[in-house]
Order: sequence, then C-alpha cells, then structure tokens
Amino acid sequence: MKLTTLHRIGWLLLAAVAVFAAFGPALTGTDPFAQDLRAFLQAPGLAHPLGTDHLGRSMLARLADAAQLSLGLAALSVLSAAIPGTVLGILAAWYGGALEKVLLFISDSVLALPGLLLVLLLATLAPGEFWPLYLGLSLAFWVEYFRVVRASARTLFASPGVEASLLLGFGLGYIVRRHVWPELAPVVRTLASFGLAAAVLAMAALGFVGVGVKPPRPELGVMMTELLPYYQEAPWLIAAPVGLLATTLLALILIQHEEKNA
Amino acid sequence: MNAQTLISFGRSLLPVLLRRGGQALAVGVLVGMLSFLMMRWLPGDFAYRIAAGRYGYDLVSAEAAEAVRRELALDAPWYVALAGWWQQLLAFDLGNSLVIGTPVIDEIRHQLGHTLMLAGAALGLSLLIGLPLGVAAGLRPGGWADRLGLLVSVALRAFPPFLLGLLMVIVFAGADLPAAGHGEAANLFLPALTLALGLAAGSSRIVREAIRNVLASEHYAFAQTKGLPLSLAVWRHALRNMALPVVAYLGVQLVFVIEGVVILETLFAWPGIGHALVHAVFWRDVPMIQGTCLMLALCFVLLNALVDLLCLALDPRHR
Amino acid sequence: MKRILAVDGLSVRAGDNALLRDVSFALAPGEALTLVGQSGAGKSLLAQAIMGNLPDALQAAGTVEVAGVASAAADHHTRRPLWGRQLGLLPQEPWLALDPTMRILAQVEETYRHVRRDGNAANARQRAREALAGLGLQDKAGHYPHQISGGMAQRVAFAAVYAGGAPILIADEPTKGLDRRMRDEVVTLLREALLEGCALLTVTHDLEVAEALGGRLAVIEQGRIVESGATTTVMQAPQHPYTQALLAAQPRNWPAEPAPASGQPLLTAQGLAKAFGRQRLFAGIDLCVHAGERLALTGPSGCGKTTLGNILLGVLKPDAGRVVSHAARPFAFQKLYQDPVAAFPARQTLRQTFADLCRLHRLDPGAAAPLLAELGLDAALLDRLPGEVSGGELQRIAIARILLLKPQLVFADEPTSRLDAITQKQTMAVLLRALERSGAALVLVTHDDALAERVAGRRLAIDTAY
Repeated sequence: MKLTTLHRIGWLLLAAVAVFAAFGPALTGTDPFAQDLRAFLQAPGLAHPLGTDHLGRSMLARLADAAQLSLGLAALSVLSAAIPGTVLGILAAWYGGALEKVLLFISDSVLALPGLLLVLLLATLAPGEFWPLYLGLSLAFWVEYFRVVRASARTLFASPGVEASLLLGFGLGYIVRRHVWPELAPVVRTLASFGLAAAVLAMAALGFVGVGVKPPRPELGVMMTELLPYYQEAPWLIAAPVGLLATTLLALILIQHEEKNA
Repeated sequence: MNAQTLISFGRSLLPVLLRRGGQALAVGVLVGMLSFLMMRWLPGDFAYRIAAGRYGYDLVSAEAAEAVRRELALDAPWYVALAGWWQQLLAFDLGNSLVIGTPVIDEIRHQLGHTLMLAGAALGLSLLIGLPLGVAAGLRPGGWADRLGLLVSVALRAFPPFLLGLLMVIVFAGADLPAAGHGEAANLFLPALTLALGLAAGSSRIVREAIRNVLASEHYAFAQTKGLPLSLAVWRHALRNMALPVVAYLGVQLVFVIEGVVILETLFAWPGIGHALVHAVFWRDVPMIQGTCLMLALCFVLLNALVDLLCLALDPRHR
Repeated sequence: MKRILAVDGLSVRAGDNALLRDVSFALAPGEALTLVGQSGAGKSLLAQAIMGNLPDALQAAGTVEVAGVASAAADHHTRRPLWGRQLGLLPQEPWLALDPTMRILAQVEETYRHVRRDGNAANARQRAREALAGLGLQDKAGHYPHQISGGMAQRVAFAAVYAGGAPILIADEPTKGLDRRMRDEVVTLLREALLEGCALLTVTHDLEVAEALGGRLAVIEQGRIVESGATTTVMQAPQHPYTQALLAAQPRNWPAEPAPASGQPLLTAQGLAKAFGRQRLFAGIDLCVHAGERLALTGPSGCGKTTLGNILLGVLKPDAGRVVSHAARPFAFQKLYQDPVAAFPARQTLRQTFADLCRLHRLDPGAAAPLLAELGLDAALLDRLPGEVSGGELQRIAIARILLLKPQLVFADEPTSRLDAITQKQTMAVLLRALERSGAALVLVTHDDALAERVAGRRLAIDTAY
C-alpha cells in the first residue's frame, strides 16, 4: 500500500517534469539567451519567477530549455537503445548460432568500456555537439536491453508454452506477441527508467566538468558550473538545476519500485 | 581439495579468461581507433596550438607548427598514419602528451596510485556503511531498519555522487576541506565518502535481499532442524551463501566506481586518472585521452575478471 | 510399549482458517505411523507443528510430548534443543535442503561432530564416510549437491539426519518428485531406521509408500484425521468414504481399459538415437504407432522418455535414425504437458488463447463451447488466466485445446503426475473418452507402471542402459 502511494508520487513527479520540459520553453515566452546585465542575480519575482542569473538571463526560461534538452536527448537515446536492443535480443535467442555468437561478442566488447568513457571519447570527436552524446548513450545502453532480453527470451522460447503454440501452428510473430513480450514488457520498462536516469545524469555530469554541452546553451550541468560561484549571494540559482535533476531522478526511482513489486 | 576439484576449477577458469581477455583486446581496439580518429580530425590550427604549448606563444613559428604536423603524421595518408599509430600502440608506447610534452605513461603511473587510493577507500567505506544497513534490514524485513534503509537508499539514488559531491563542495567550501594544505588523507575523505554513499545505496539493498533469501532458504532451515546450534548454522551455511550475490553485485558496481571516479576526481580536484582524462578531453590532448581511457578500461576489465574468479571460488555451481 | 512421541489435540490455524484440526496420536519406538492425504490437506504443517517451526502467520494449539516431556504446540522454544538429537526431520525436497556450496561429506560429518557429540567426534569424518558408503555414496563424498541426482540427495539428507541419532524420525513427503526406483530406495532406508528402533512418522500422498512401511495409517481429509488403524486393515477394508475414494483412485485399482481397435501405421521410427553432450539417452529405438492405438513409454526419470516423444513429434531432431509421419494433415500430432500452467501463454485469458487458435485455423469461434461441455468444464473458466484454474481443470482445458485441431496422435507427457490421485483418475478418464470419440492415438509417458498397464495396450520401456 505504501509502495503504491510512492509510485503514484513518482509518476506525478515525472509527469510534472515532462510537462515542464515539453511546454515550458513555449509557455515562458522568454528568450533563455537574452542577457540583461542590469538585472544581475535578481531574486525570484513576478517578472522572473526563478530570478535571473549572473548575466541577467531568466532562470525559468533557461531551466525549461535545459529540461527540454536533457529529457529530450535522454528519451531519444533510450528509445534508440531499447528498440534495437530488444529486437536483436529476441532474434539472437530465436535463431541462436553464429548470429547470437557475433552479437554476444559485440555486446561484450561494448560492456568492457564503461558508458561514460564511451560518451567522453565520442564527445571529443565533436566538442559541444549533441550527436556524440546521443550516439554514445545509445551505444552504451543497447547492450543492457540486448542481454536481458536475450536471456529471458531464451528461457521463454524453450518453455512448454511456446512449444505447444508451435505445435498448434503459430509462428514467431504470435509467440513474440503473446508469450514473450507480455513477460518482457515490465523488464524493458524498468530498464528504460534506469536508462533515462543514467542518461540525464551523464549529460549533466559531462556538462558540469566542461566536456559535454557548451555554454551559452542552457544545460543542467553547464548551469551548475556557471552558478556555483554565486551560491552564497544567490543560493536559489544553483538550487534550481540541482533540484530539477534530483526530482527527475527521484521520479524515475519511484516508478521503478512499482515495476519491481508488480 | 583434491585433484578433481582443481581440474574442474581450472576448466571453468578458461571461459572467464577468454571472455575477459577478449574484452581487454576489444577495448584496446576501440579506444585506439577512436583516438586515431580524434587525431585526424584535429582542427587545422591545432598543430600551432601544440607548438605554442611547447615553445610558448612568443617563440612559436610556422616552421615549428609544421614540425609538429610531421611529428604527428597529420599530413601523411590516413593508412600510413593508422599503421604507424597501431605500431606504436602494439609496442605499448602511449606517446607524449600534446600539452605538456611528457610521456603519457609517466603521468599515468603517477595518477593511477591516486585513483586506486580513491576507489579503494570508497569501496571500503561503502562496505562499512552498506553492510550494517543491509544486515539490519535483512534480519527484519519490513521492520523500521528496513524502511529507514529503503528511504536512505532512495534518497541517495536521487542524489548520486555527482550531485552529492556538488553539495559537499558547497557545504564544505567554507571549511576549505577539499582545498590543499590539509594533507592527502583529508582531501581523500570527501570524494571517497561521496562515492561510498552512492555505492552503499545499492549494496545495502543487495545485502538485505541476500540475507532475507538465505534466512528463508530450505538449506538454512535444514541446517537448523539437523540440530546445529544457531551460531554454527549461520557460520557454516548462511554466510557464504549470503556473500554470493553480494560479490556478484560488486561486478555491477565497478561501472559505478569508474564513472564516479571520473566525475568526482574532477569535482574535488583529486589528481587521479579520471581528472586527467577530463582535462585531456577539454584540451584535446589525444595521447593522454587514449592512455587514461585505456588504463581505466583495462583496470575495469581486470577487476571484473577478479570478481568472476571470486565468484568461481565461492560458488561450486559456477565451476 | 512406552510411547516416545505423543500429539494431543493439535490444531493449526491461519487466522480464522483451520488448516489442521484436533489431531491426536502416539508413537512408540520402532513403530511407524503414516499420514496420507491429498496435497493441501494440511499434512505438511503437522511435521512443522511437531518440530515447532511453523511460519509466524500460523497459530498452533494442543500439546506435543517428546520422550516424556510435554509442551504446548505453540511453544517454539522448548523443542528447539531437541532438534537433531530427539527429533529428526527428513526434508521434503532434499536437493533444496542441502547447502549448495558445501561438499556432501561435510554436510554429514557436521552432524556427527556438532550434533551427536557422543565422544566420538574426533572421528566424525570417518563415521560420515562410512555412513555414505553404507548408502552406496562412497564415490560422491567429494561432490557438491548439484552434482548428484535427486535420489542421491535424498540419501545424503537421510544420512545427515540419521547421524544425529534421534529416536524419532519425521519424514515429510520423502518421495515427492522421485521416480519408482528412487522411491523404493527411500522406503528401504526408512524401514531400516524402523528396525533400528526409530519411531517413524511419515507424511505422504502416496498410498504405496504407506503400504510398504506397514505399521499404522491415518487418513487426513481437510486437516482432520477421518480414519486410522493398522495399515493393512485400512487398506483392505476402508470404512470412510474418503479413504475408499482414495484407494479406488490408485491406478492398480482402476477398471481395465478395453484396448481400442488400431488401424494403419500413423508414424514409424527407425534407429532413433539421442545424446545431450556426453550423456547418451538412448540408441537404436524402432517403433511404430498405429492409428487409434495406445502406447506407453515408461522408464526411470532422466532416461529420455520426453526427448523420444519430442523427436516423434518433430520438435527435436534425433542424432541418428528417422521418423516418418503418415499424418493426413498438418498439426495432427499434438502434445499434453506435465504442468499445464506452463503450456499456455501466462498473461492472457484462456478465452483469448482459444480465440487466437480459432482465428489461425479458421475454425468456428463457437467450436470450443461444446467441447468444453463434453469434458465437463464450465465455459466461464475461460475468462481466467491459466494460473487461476486448478491443475485438473486446466489439463482438461488443454485437452479441449488440442481436440479443436482434431489430432490423430496425442503425445501426453506425464499429464497427471502432478495431480492428486482422485483428480488423476478423473482427468485420465476424460482424456481416454475424448480420444475414443476422436479416434486419436495416444503415446503416454509415465513413470507409473500401474498407470501404464491400465491405460495402454502396448508398452515400451526405456532403461538407462547407457
């Protein structure tokens, strides 16, 4: 019962962050890049609900823009990892043989390099661009889906239920739809929420240490770097990106609890 | 320990060594290739910047920049350059840093000690924190210790090492703990604690599950109904079985450690490999990137292999 | 004779739900009492209640007296020190009860060293070795539990318990999941313990085990002892209707089935051989199944009965030999499974599964209803998930599912071995009537010789010659 409340809170938080990311930039109607040096480090007020940063830029507009970038890129890389990872996992389990061996070798090789290092290496190829982040995260994440899906699908394909369906004349499509996917869907959803959290966090961490997204583009990590020097005069400024990141992570953790106990 | 056991242990060693050896090789190829690409894609003025870095901006000349281009084989056809690159790498020659000009291997040798110290301290601290929390929760699932442990674990996962580290920097910057002058131990404490808290958030729950499962297992019940006193039943039949999932989870945590080391060393200015890597990426010091990345990845593969071996030693079913 | 174990007015409840009601009996050294009942009759709780390790959610009432010392059944502390020394408990599933990370010699040795403690602890290892040798396990002393068979695991568990020297032995379903040969071995061990003067309390669903152990028999129905007496008396002249039904449900007491007329060859196999890795299952098997006939495949577990059946169905390829099918149409060979729950897609209703099948083969969606009625099933069951239907009913639904395709041959892999005796009889009768109506042949895999004899006209025994 307690967990049900918790995961409901998780979904609520996630929905709030998602709505903010999706519609925030359009609704605030303020340019996140527009500087106004007279409005330097303003406290939250009517004109700027979250105040202004050291260059007088609207924090709300910047935060909304950063949220959109982080969540959008994270969702995109999770999708581009989950779909091929799941499909390849199912194919490897079904066909076995050389296909499975080759895919396993590739996935093992990717696993040998912690995801953050891969993203770092790719980010060096094109500093400040988005595509290395996206590519690196997707390349690092698909392996999870592939390995988990392959292992579960192998067990399921060998089950009496699938054997019975084959004897009754059903094909691979039916077996995947009725036997495999209903069992895998919760697992894939859990992996996706882990993946979203990892992607959002990795982007912010890279931005913070100065090798991810580059200023003046608002990004959670970049904003933290920029605002850290002002934490004494204007603590609410750095609290905004930190709070948004922690809220996103918390939401994704809370919905995982639902999946585990379902 | 009889001969048969040794043989079966030896036989089960081979797949582990093959898999991890293959990984080490693959990671070498991957990092080498990407580093080569980086080198070829360096923007045009980079040779000039490197030359400036060596001789100072006042003394740098077009000739010096040209010499750098030749030295790095930037004007050779790509296949010639690639062959040269691999030749160097296969001879375990990691080259010189583009920025400071010293051999990469010397730098890494110096940094590795710091990184191992940080990672080791973090793992040790995480056990000190995670084990008691997990044990308290696992002995009474659903009890107050369990619920508190879950709360702490969720909170720590919402504030992973990167965010927690940032908060620590803000909180302790006034006390200037991470700043120089307090000696290594004091500087080590904050990043190690930050990483340890993140690790303990996961491991305490794994320990809890392990304890719960073993206490509910048929073989632990049998150990007791056989007539063994409780202490002996725990010592002989519970501990090793509890350790199995915890050790296996250590392998999962290694990714967390490596990634944590990269971010936290930078955040706390701890002079380890992760710190060097981020700086090298920032300055596009390709040999340094290649060297540090390779070292981190190989450490990662090696530690994973050690975890595999430990699992083999602990669990006869894997043999 | 002096009694060593006495149970008086023992009840176990889960909240308001009485699982075991007012059970009383007494046992003297060298005496055997066997409790028989269907699964779910609460009989396994009895062993736990006597030991005093019931789960916390259950409440016990009544008294338990061990070697003259009486204590309340709910008192979990008094009998704890008696474990191993006075009360020996043989575990239900020994392959789970042995520590997977410890060699079997050590698991026997520790009882001698830490439980028996009779001055001979110094040579505990030697005594453990002798005990294992006495059970024919001298080669396995250095093995781990996952390296030995279920029957061997049961013997190791027996040695580990017996080493404690407890005068009272409680065996909780000691033959569960074992084939006939392994079952007989366990019964022999228990009888030897009896001869040594142990008081033996056995809980089982298997009347043949009770018969082989002799002594006294108590029949449990819904948590209550409904009949008890000398085993031979109860077996020969059961008084209670439930006991009578239980006895009548034993395959050897079934009325003989008339062999149906068999027709043309439906499937011929020649020189079949199969091995998994280094383990050879069988070789050189020739057989022919005729239309409408009933063939039983028997043999100990692990001998490859299921594998042979799967080769006949075309699910597996043999290493050598060939199978020729003379089926009139595709999908004419169908299979029934030991665990029917696992044979259906787990997360959709049975109705959906039937609808999918009808759509695939362009069958009338209403075709299932009359079939289900013929098999004595309520069509409303189809609105449930497979896991929500009882084993017997689900097996009948599985029969209905394959009948939709009008099969010519049904391969039934231990279809009733997980059902209790009365449900087994009912399910098997339903299956045979259905096959009779459709004229399909049956290949039945079973480890129960009596069942094979009653059902099949022809038997093929696969022995583990390899």
